[in-house]
Amino acid sequence: MRVAERTRPDAGKAAAVTAGSSVPSTTHEGGRKRRGVNREGLEAGRRSTRTILWILLAAAMVLYGFPFLYLLFTSFKTPIDTIAVPPTVLPKEWTLENYVNALGRSGVVASFINSIQTAIISTLLSLVLAIPAAYGITRYKTPSGRVFIMAALVTRMVPPVAIGIPLASMMASVGMADTPIALSIAHTTISLPLSIWLMSSFFEAVPRDLEEAATVDGCSRLGALWRVVIPVVSGGIAVTAIFAFLASWNEFLFALLMTAIRSQTTPVVIANFQTQFGLDWGSMTALAAVYSIPVILLTLLLQRKIVAGMTLGAVKG
Amino acid sequence: MRISDRRFALFLMTPAALFLAVFVAYPLFRLVADSFFKISPIAGGPRDFVGFQNYLSAFASDAFMGAGWRTLAYTVVVVTLEFALGLGMALLFTTLGRRSQVWRTVFLYPLMIAPIVAGLLWKFLMIDNFGLIGTLLHQAGILSNPNQIGWLSDPNIVLFSVAIPDIWLTTSFMCLVLFAGLQNIPGDLIEAARLDGARAPALLFRIILPLLRPVIAVALVVRGIDAARAFDTILIQTNGGPQSASETMSLLIYRTMIRFGDPGLASAMGTIYLVAMLAVAFFAVATIWRPGKDS
Repeated sequence: MRVAERTRPDAGKAAAVTAGSSVPSTTHEGGRKRRGVNREGLEAGRRSTRTILWILLAAAMVLYGFPFLYLLFTSFKTPIDTIAVPPTVLPKEWTLENYVNALGRSGVVASFINSIQTAIISTLLSLVLAIPAAYGITRYKTPSGRVFIMAALVTRMVPPVAIGIPLASMMASVGMADTPIALSIAHTTISLPLSIWLMSSFFEAVPRDLEEAATVDGCSRLGALWRVVIPVVSGGIAVTAIFAFLASWNEFLFALLMTAIRSQTTPVVIANFQTQFGLDWGSMTALAAVYSIPVILLTLLLQRKIVAGMTLGAVKG
Repeated sequence: MRISDRRFALFLMTPAALFLAVFVAYPLFRLVADSFFKISPIAGGPRDFVGFQNYLSAFASDAFMGAGWRTLAYTVVVVTLEFALGLGMALLFTTLGRRSQVWRTVFLYPLMIAPIVAGLLWKFLMIDNFGLIGTLLHQAGILSNPNQIGWLSDPNIVLFSVAIPDIWLTTSFMCLVLFAGLQNIPGDLIEAARLDGARAPALLFRIILPLLRPVIAVALVVRGIDAARAFDTILIQTNGGPQSASETMSLLIYRTMIRFGDPGLASAMGTIYLVAMLAVAFFAVATIWRPGKDS
C-alpha cells in the first residue's frame, strides 16, 4: 500500500506537466504544479548548443523512424524485389501487389474482423468492470479497496504464459474454445488491472462536493455515479478505452493459445505467414502495415490524451 | 434503508473482483495444482500425482536453468539500454523545450505497434543474405561481407539481437516517464546549482538522477517485469534458436507445453517462474522505493 500512496502525487504531477490542463486528474493539484518553472533551469541557453541538440534530435528521429518506413517501402516492392540480394531501401517499382496478395489470402479479412470484434468486446468488458471498481476504491477508501488495488497490481506481474495454458483448457471445458468471447475474456485479464489503475486516478480528481450535491438533491449513490460523475470523467474513460483496445489489438500469446481457425486474430495470421507459406516477406510486410497504421494514426490524432494516460498508467501501475 | 458506504463500495468492486478471481486466480491455482501431476497431453488421458517430481526435473534440466539465466540476461540488457537511451532522449527533449513537442509525439509511435510486427520487422532487417543492416554496414565499409555478423544465426549474439525490437518498441515509454519526471524538477534548483558552478555531469548525477529516483524506480520495475515476460518478439524472430540460445523462460514453458506435450512439467516451470518474478518485483519495489527520504 505504501507504494501506491507514495506514487500518487508523482502521478498527478507527471500528468500535469506532460498533458497540460487537458487531464482532469491534474486539477486537484493545481497549487503544486510547477509547469514552466524549469524552463529556465534545464532548457539549453546558447544558440550553438541548441543547434547541436536539434541535429542530435534529427539523427535520433531518423534512426527511430527508419525501421517502420523500411517496412512500408518494402510493402510496395514487387514480391521478388522484397527478397533481392543486396536489398534496396526504396522500391525499384512501386506496386500494390503485396497488398493484393496479403488481403486476398484466405482467412486474412476474417482475422481482421475477429481482431476488431475481440478488441471491442474486451474494451467494453474492461470498462464495465473497471469503472464501478475504481469508483468504489477511490470514493470510499475502505481497507478492502486498498487490498483490491494491490491485488490488481500483482496481477500485472503474472506472466501470460503461466495463466494462458490453464485458461485455454478452462475455456475448452465449457465449450468456448476458439471463440472471440473466450479470447476477449483472456485479453481482459490484461487490460482490467490497467483500467482499474487508470480509472482510479481519474476518479481521484473529481471533487467530492459534486456527488454530495447530487445526493442532497435526491440522487441515489448509483444515480450520482451514473448521472454526475461519469459525465465528468468521460475523457478519462476514453483514454482507458484506448488502452484496453490496444492491449487486445496487439496481443499475441493468448490469441495463439486460445484460437484455431474460426476466431484467429491478425497477429496470429501474421505469425503464421512464416510457417504456412514459406517466407512470404512481401505479403507479411503489407499485412503488418495494414494492421499497424490505423493505431499509429489514432495515436497521432489523440496524442495528448494518450500521453496523459500512458504516464498515469506507468507511474501508477 | 440505506446500505452502508462500506457495503456499497464492496458491491461496486465485486464484479471486477469476481472476474479476476475466476480468470486469473483460478487459472493460477490450476497451474500450481497441475505442477504436482504427471499429465498426459491427450485430453482425458491419465493424470498421476507425482509430488515434487516435476520441480526436481525442472531444476535438474539444463534447458530450464539456461532459460532462467537467459531471461535474466535479456531483462538486464533490455532495461539497461532502454534506460540509457530513454534518459538521453528525455534530457534532449527537456533541453529543447516546448518546440520539440511534435517530435515527442512522433517518438511514441513504436508503442502502438504490435510486438509481433516489431519482431518481424527487425527479423527482416537483421536476417542473413537480404537483411538491410548487414548490407548497409557492408556498404559503409564497416563489414567486409554483409553476412559477417549472423545477427540471428550466431548463438553467441542472438540473445542480444532478439532484444533489439523490444528496446526499439519501449524506449519511448521509458523516455515518456522520465520526461514527465524531469518536468517536476524545480527550475530554481538547477539554476542554483549552475550558479554554484556545477557542470553538466555533476548536475546529472548529483541533482537530476537523485531527484528522479522514484520515477526511475517505477519505470525500471514496470519495464523489468515486461521484459522478463517477453515472448512475441523472440518467438517470431528465432523461435528460441539457434541451439536454444535465445530461449527465454516464456518460450521454454510454451514449448514444453505445446511441442513436448508435458503440461505437468510446464506447470512446475511456470510456478517457479511466477514465484521468482513476484519475489524479484517485491524486492525491487521494497529496496528502490524505501529510501526513507520522502514522507
